[in-house]
Amino acid sequence: MDTVYSHYAWLIPIFPLGAFLILAAAGRGMRTAGIVTAMAASLASFLLSMLVLVERLDGRAAEYNASYDWIATRGFQLTIGFDVTNLTAVMLAMVSLISFLVCMYSAGYMKNDERITVFYAYISLFTFSMLGLVLADNLLMLYMFWELVGVCSFLLIGFWYAKPAAKAAAKKAFLVTRVGDVGLLIAVLMLFWYMPEHELSFSAIQNVFNEGQSGLIAQGITTVIALLIFAGAAGKSGQFPLHVWLPDAMEGPTPISALIHAATMVAAGVFLIARTYSIFEASAAAMETVAIIGAFTALFAASIALVQKDLKRILAYSAISQLGFMMLALGAGSLTGGIFHLLTHAFFQALLFLGAGSVIHAVHTRNIHEMGGLGRRMRVTAFTFAIGALALAGIPPLSGFWSKDAILAAVLDKGHPLLFAAGLAASLLTAMYMSRLFILVFGGKSGAQPGSRKSLESPLIMTVPLIILAVPAALLGLVELPWEGWGRLGSWLLGSGYSPQHDSGAEVMIMSTAVAALGLYIGWLVYGKGMISRSAAAARLPWLVNLLDNKYYIDELYHYCIVRPVLGLGTLLVLIDRYVVGGAVRLAGGLAMLAGRAGTRMQNGQVQTYGLLAVAGLVVLIVAVAGRRFW
Amino acid sequence: MAETIPWLTLLVFTPILGVCVLLLVPRRQTRLLRLTAVVSALLPFMLSLWLFGQYDAATADQFREQTAWMDVALNREALNGSVTSFIYQFQYDLAIDGLSLPLVMLAAFIGCMAALASVNIRKRRKSYYVWFLLLETGMLGVFLARDLLLFFLFFELTLVAMFFLIAIWGYFDREKAANTFLIYNGLGSAVMLFAFILLIYTAGFQAVESADRVELVYSGNYDIIAANLLNPEAYVNLAPNLMGGDNPFYLSGEMKWVVFILLLVAFGIKLPVMPLHTWMLHVHKEAPVPVVMIHSGVLLKMGAYGVLRFGMLLFPAEAREAAAVIAWLGLANIMCGALLALRQQDLKLVLAYSSLSHMGIVLLGLASFNEIGVQGAVFQLVSHGLISALLFLIAGSIQERTGTTELARLGGLSRSMPFISGVLLAAGLASLGMPGLSGFVGELLSFLGLFESMKAVTVLAAAGMVITAAYVLRSVLGITFGPLRENGEELKDARLIEAVPMIALLAFIILLGLYPSVLNGTTADSVQEILSQLRAGG
Repeated sequence: MDTVYSHYAWLIPIFPLGAFLILAAAGRGMRTAGIVTAMAASLASFLLSMLVLVERLDGRAAEYNASYDWIATRGFQLTIGFDVTNLTAVMLAMVSLISFLVCMYSAGYMKNDERITVFYAYISLFTFSMLGLVLADNLLMLYMFWELVGVCSFLLIGFWYAKPAAKAAAKKAFLVTRVGDVGLLIAVLMLFWYMPEHELSFSAIQNVFNEGQSGLIAQGITTVIALLIFAGAAGKSGQFPLHVWLPDAMEGPTPISALIHAATMVAAGVFLIARTYSIFEASAAAMETVAIIGAFTALFAASIALVQKDLKRILAYSAISQLGFMMLALGAGSLTGGIFHLLTHAFFQALLFLGAGSVIHAVHTRNIHEMGGLGRRMRVTAFTFAIGALALAGIPPLSGFWSKDAILAAVLDKGHPLLFAAGLAASLLTAMYMSRLFILVFGGKSGAQPGSRKSLESPLIMTVPLIILAVPAALLGLVELPWEGWGRLGSWLLGSGYSPQHDSGAEVMIMSTAVAALGLYIGWLVYGKGMISRSAAAARLPWLVNLLDNKYYIDELYHYCIVRPVLGLGTLLVLIDRYVVGGAVRLAGGLAMLAGRAGTRMQNGQVQTYGLLAVAGLVVLIVAVAGRRFW
Repeated sequence: MAETIPWLTLLVFTPILGVCVLLLVPRRQTRLLRLTAVVSALLPFMLSLWLFGQYDAATADQFREQTAWMDVALNREALNGSVTSFIYQFQYDLAIDGLSLPLVMLAAFIGCMAALASVNIRKRRKSYYVWFLLLETGMLGVFLARDLLLFFLFFELTLVAMFFLIAIWGYFDREKAANTFLIYNGLGSAVMLFAFILLIYTAGFQAVESADRVELVYSGNYDIIAANLLNPEAYVNLAPNLMGGDNPFYLSGEMKWVVFILLLVAFGIKLPVMPLHTWMLHVHKEAPVPVVMIHSGVLLKMGAYGVLRFGMLLFPAEAREAAAVIAWLGLANIMCGALLALRQQDLKLVLAYSSLSHMGIVLLGLASFNEIGVQGAVFQLVSHGLISALLFLIAGSIQERTGTTELARLGGLSRSMPFISGVLLAAGLASLGMPGLSGFVGELLSFLGLFESMKAVTVLAAAGMVITAAYVLRSVLGITFGPLRENGEELKDARLIEAVPMIALLAFIILLGLYPSVLNGTTADSVQEILSQLRAGG
């Protein structure tokens, strides 16, 4: 079937780019006009994305690709271009919608910030980069936008630059993700040399690595490439051991956390793997690694979230944990599950973050122990937050339940009982920390807040985005109901290459629902009803609570095992540079001076000295000539 | 008409014309002095732009101007009677190819920007501008000269001019810095001259025989030397036993290595290659801002240009064998430079070591011996020239306002100087290789090229990018982020005259980052040419 709007998909990122340029050029002169420009640009992107998406919904639209030379000489060429597939279309719609909502929300949240124009400029630049990343038709171009979204994330984390914590967090985010990015860059280099014709486009990668042609690239090389790509993905998506930057990134403004660190950029790692999935499928070892790291991260981050006090950090760990689920799905061979969860997660996690922002906006603290009783005073926020929380916990029929169920079913189906257990455990913890969070923030009496009857609800411009996000957070799961036959989404996303898989039926569903309900119940027992003392765990297992409280001491480990040695090496080099290299230079200079001085001293005008030197010289000469015979 | 005008001579000597005009301007006419200098620096840039427009990528050497400048008669008595003339011919030979063009444009552009940035020079303006313009002529000439001795003359001109510019207009420790600079580079020049003389004496020898004349000519012409070295029938390549036991022009395999290494050392000092870099630190710290811009932006590139043009192209076989060594030296530059930059306490020293680190990438590209890598090296030269000039310009602006470039005494400048801080951030991002800015393209192409033959080195160098990011962010964020220091509120943001070069430099950095074909397109054919020469020899 012919497509119309897909041909104009390149316009989608151009709108926010234009907004960025206008805002950057206009400087701080405009406030309202700046906000409107940015919002209009993201709305335009969203509308066009929807046209593209709707056009492709029936699943028969042909993929559209256009590519141009970026650097081309006789010997090699690097191209840029864009690719419209069903996967990119749905990603475009998701990114531009959330970007638009965040732009709207920020108009309220950032109202009093004097640099609000700069803020909108950065958001527009980010939206451009993220949409460009999604559209990229080859790995190199994706890498370029990948770095750009990283920079935008860095700029926005450090938006309140005067705060030392924001400065440190921005730097950390940049450096930690950079470690992963180096892996991705090396993967690009390898693909460039191993692929026939130096092709880097995703369609060529798919052709080469799909079955039948896999002899072109050796198995070991394939695994290395896949793992390097995964390193890049792990850096962006906050997977263990590169997750450390994401909780710290919460120093940025909350709308940013929703847009970048919950919904879009952190999911880019999952998207990257989905785009290069054929490389992973060609290497069982790489798939195994992805699954294990994903499951571990899901469990590990959820356990940390259980004891954190900072509202946004809890959500950050929950994002890490959910990204772990997506990786687990990809590693277990369920591309559909991963993408499905990516989409539902984008909405409910953005909803949770924006809700958290609404709360922080009202009470001016991020410590959940200083909140409480906000449910009555912020009804819209509380209600929408509840939807997000239940979706995250995996309670049917909200969206998170269906996508998580798809992942767990796929894992079990693939025969990974251990990973399945880890996923279930992570689900349990997820439900526990979400009920703790919800009860502490919204439940109970508003003891901490004096003057408590007054409504604290945020203005309409902030609550409307919450309401809009609550709709997909609740209902998006219904696009793929198990009993309508698995694989609707899968066959739409992947086209003919899709092979319907798991059919685990109701067991998984019942188990995961039970586990989620159990988690909520435990949380309610502890924090709501007070049946179990809150300090019971701290009293029985102080070391465990301590360990979780300190995030398993990973930051400290990196500090002592990586940062310190590198700095030490630097100091060592400084010393070598100063004393060995510099010393050699000074020695050479000094020797020359010394020789000069000695020469000067000999020219003292005394015949005796000259005579002595002449004799000495003669002796040396004679010895040299005579000595040659015996030598 | 365009054919008859000596464009390249005009380009090189416009600054000298400017010097002549300057000499007529009274010392107190500050504005007029400045105007003359800026115009004399702007004209070569305009000319280079025009040349860029006229340049035809498919032809090798263009706009050639070649004349015999001096014929030095040599002693004919020593030879047998049949020789009609026996001379050393010193040629005035300028030409432009895809390797020279980007560097000439870079030099003219940075020269222009540095002239604009010279407003802060407050003493002895007239002699300052005279030396400044002489320096510009020198550096333009270096990239265009096609005669070994002519090259040497231009090269030395930059040394002399630099010496005075540092020694008179520098910061506190200027005289020591100038001396170190002169001695170290003087040594390098001596080594270079020695290598050049060896080359002229052997490969520069030609015997032109016709019916009634036999002309014996020594020449420093680059093309003749290159052709002779590559031609197995030339005297320089004929072993003495083939010639009846005596061939004074023969350059044995070992001697070729000697000359090659001499050239590497001579240009390696300029580049600089670890551990020959110590002189550069003093210069970067003590020289006045515009001079550092030129030094780090252009003069360091003469080293890389020399390595490629004289080292690798004249001795392709040796260069091929030394490729691994060059690559490892490049890696040492990258890693040591980055680690050292991480520990510096002064912004200018951070930038100095960062130059060391980035010039290592050029070596990686050169060591790749394929089209992508060499393209990357040339690209990196231009890109780093722009980026480092911008960074030093900003460092100068910060120093002018706060009186220091020590990191510990700076912080939070974003509040009072948002424009300068923003440009500093952008320049820092360009320096650490952010896509969309020029630094990335140079890095990417160099890595891509080297990966074909030396995977381990490439991977290590790519890992060095993390350290690069660490030191760039440490210094840039240290200066611009965080709480503002006391008295910081009163600091003024950039004046228009400062903002113009910053924006112009940044604009070119972005242009090259987004659309690298501007540069790659012009260099592509020359790089092909270079590679075919390298392969032919190897």
